[in-house]
Amino acid sequence: VSCRDFEVLLSLRAAGALDPRDAARVEGHLAHCRSCAADAEDTAAALALARLPEPTEAERRVFRDLPAGALEGVRRSDRRRATAKKYAVAALAVAAAAAFALAPALLRRSGEAPVRTAAAWEQPDLDELWEDTEVLDLDPAALSGGDEPDSAALAAVDL
Amino acid sequence: MDDAHDRGRHPNLRVLPGGEEAEVRSRRADDEALVSAFLVGDDEAFGELVRRHEGLVLSIARRYARSPEDARDLAQRTFLRAFVAARRTLGRDPMRAVPFRRWLIRVAVNLSKNHLRNELRFARARHEQLGPTEVPPVGADELLRAERVRRLRAEVLQLPRRQREVLTLRLDAELPFTEIAEVLGITENAAKVTFHHASRRLREVLRKQEAK
Repeated sequence: VSCRDFEVLLSLRAAGALDPRDAARVEGHLAHCRSCAADAEDTAAALALARLPEPTEAERRVFRDLPAGALEGVRRSDRRRATAKKYAVAALAVAAAAAFALAPALLRRSGEAPVRTAAAWEQPDLDELWEDTEVLDLDPAALSGGDEPDSAALAAVDL
Repeated sequence: MDDAHDRGRHPNLRVLPGGEEAEVRSRRADDEALVSAFLVGDDEAFGELVRRHEGLVLSIARRYARSPEDARDLAQRTFLRAFVAARRTLGRDPMRAVPFRRWLIRVAVNLSKNHLRNELRFARARHEQLGPTEVPPVGADELLRAERVRRLRAEVLQLPRRQREVLTLRLDAELPFTEIAEVLGITENAAKVTFHHASRRLREVLRKQEAK
């Protein structure tokens, strides 16, 4: 067992947090290890100096207000919460009423939204259509094959 | 007649095994009962809760406060926040609610940490100005001791956060390491080792001072 094994235990000893079994081990080691004994002593001294003293009478007088002050703090916090809740409910109610009042107008306005309608269909003018149409231009000569129109060919065209 | 009969009887007390642990459980149950009683309008229950734990909360707050009033205000805020937190968790699931005492310690540690940060950031208070005031020293030995005390207390506030928390919970609040571990969410061994690092640092500061 080396001194390193006792390092943490020495700090716990200074804090009064050793269980009886460890306390016996530590005291046994300190009895013959001067270095660890010096560490133990200095650690205890450092912690004793760092520890706060008991509250003075002046401090105790100030602390007497603590229960009443804490209770008042809780009450104040509850009042603030209740007020905030009340305002939140009121704001919610106003918002609901406003929504109820404005809903029909809003809905109507949304019904009047511009609707894209298709251009109305108009009856086309057959004559214009006919004029615009490129009709196959038949060459009478090609049809007749000579000076006189072939009656059979004409008859076929007429069909 | 029953009253007269009962008055003459002595209670039949039994010592139950469990000792300290049973006492802690009973105290916790009492705390939760007091919180519940206050929630249904019993102001005296809250007063009792504060009286029961004010020593603990003030022992944590005093380390970080510049004056008794400062410590009292810090403690008041601790009770308020711990109560609000306890009420919230108690309302959700009473079986899984965090014990009121644990809320108190956690809140006290956190508020103290914030308080220290704000003091250093905004008020530019020097470390040695923090902490309760004591009777001014007279004589060379007392002056020397006062200087060491001042230096060591300043060093406590300059320790890394976790070391400072463990050290002050043990040194000021005198909590057992099991409870310190519970509150800080670490293992008991980790708490002990952290305490060792903090006290070793303080020891080194003291040695340096003595060497001067």
